[in-house]
Amino acid sequence: MFSQYFGQYLLTEKYLTDEQLKIALEYQQSVRLKLGVLAINAGYMNSQQANQVHQMQSKIDKRFGELAVEAGYIKEDQIEELLSSQKFGHLLLAQALIDKNFMSLEKFERAIYEYKKKYNISESQFNLLQTDDVHEIINIYVNLDDEKYGVEIKQYIALFMRNIIRFIDSAVYTKKIMKIEEFKTKCVVSQRIKNSINFMTYINAEQDVFLKIASRYAEEELTIIDEMAKDSVGEFLNLNNGLYLVGMSNKGIELDMEPQSVCFEKKIGLGYVLPIELPFGRMELIISTT
Amino acid sequence: MIENFLKILVCDDSMLIRKRLKEVLKSCGCNNILEAANGQEAIDIYKENKPDLVFMDIIMPLKNGIEAVYEIIGFDKEAKVVMASSAGTKEHVKQAIKAGAFEFVQKPWEKEQINKIILNLK
Repeated sequence: MFSQYFGQYLLTEKYLTDEQLKIALEYQQSVRLKLGVLAINAGYMNSQQANQVHQMQSKIDKRFGELAVEAGYIKEDQIEELLSSQKFGHLLLAQALIDKNFMSLEKFERAIYEYKKKYNISESQFNLLQTDDVHEIINIYVNLDDEKYGVEIKQYIALFMRNIIRFIDSAVYTKKIMKIEEFKTKCVVSQRIKNSINFMTYINAEQDVFLKIASRYAEEELTIIDEMAKDSVGEFLNLNNGLYLVGMSNKGIELDMEPQSVCFEKKIGLGYVLPIELPFGRMELIISTT
Repeated sequence: MIENFLKILVCDDSMLIRKRLKEVLKSCGCNNILEAANGQEAIDIYKENKPDLVFMDIIMPLKNGIEAVYEIIGFDKEAKVVMASSAGTKEHVKQAIKAGAFEFVQKPWEKEQINKIILNLK
């Protein structure tokens, strides 16, 4: 999940083009992660040191790690830690970009530095982001700090994204959340959460995306928006909302919900729209607090 | 095999969930399965067929699962009802047990959980 966000960051900051990102995303499946990228990402080496080691390698037949330790750029235990650590998705993307010459090590180092600075991310937060910690990702990307129910909505969104990853597709990321006064939907399922907190929750998408979501959740290919397709997306929302209720109940807040319903071309009043990008198209999670 | 003779009522407003639960029950050897899409339908079908076991959702249109359990237990105090809902809040679990359900299964359930319930019933 984080690699999608990092890829989008590289695009919006013009580190690369749409076409380069597309090629790199395809290529990253077969990429072999190298120590230089790992060391820069962890902040153990800078790009200049990594490039110097690469130059040494053209003259001396030794491994990157050996030369880097000999030069005093990195310690052996740090290398062991890097080699045994989890290979994060955004690093595969970065390695693919470097291998394809779309990006240099210097640019990668700068991108990581600027990214942390832009979102004011600490080292411990960055470590969580890299492991696709959804709660932390939503915390950084969804800003509702001054809004009524802001904390509860963020918790709801984090749970929703975890369920999207679990049941629909893991290659997912969110765009900027928008506060709306009116929103016209396409195909939408809705469900009310009520009691001490009152939300209307909606999943909205164009027909083709709606069908894909329905197919993924039902685990069968659905080709028309029939009762099964509507039921499938509705049940996904119902499952998510049920789990939200359980989470809140465990915190001592007892909520309830109504049965879900499906409709088309509906106007929704005051609320928040969170665009969610999936590999097959965009859907919106809408939370109305009226 | 006892499970071949078990009559089971599956009540959920989601046809997808009914379909999935039926598949799991059939894989456990239970083939005599009745279906209801809301609490009222479940009561009517129960009274007519007296199934051995009921799987009951909570949040449903027309009549919710808790109300339906009260009516089913009122009609047959030996009725065996399992609540199967995504909304397994402390309050819902308490209400379900108070209404007379003997088990609560949180959605999404695993096949093994359903299998265990059938095995215990035997």
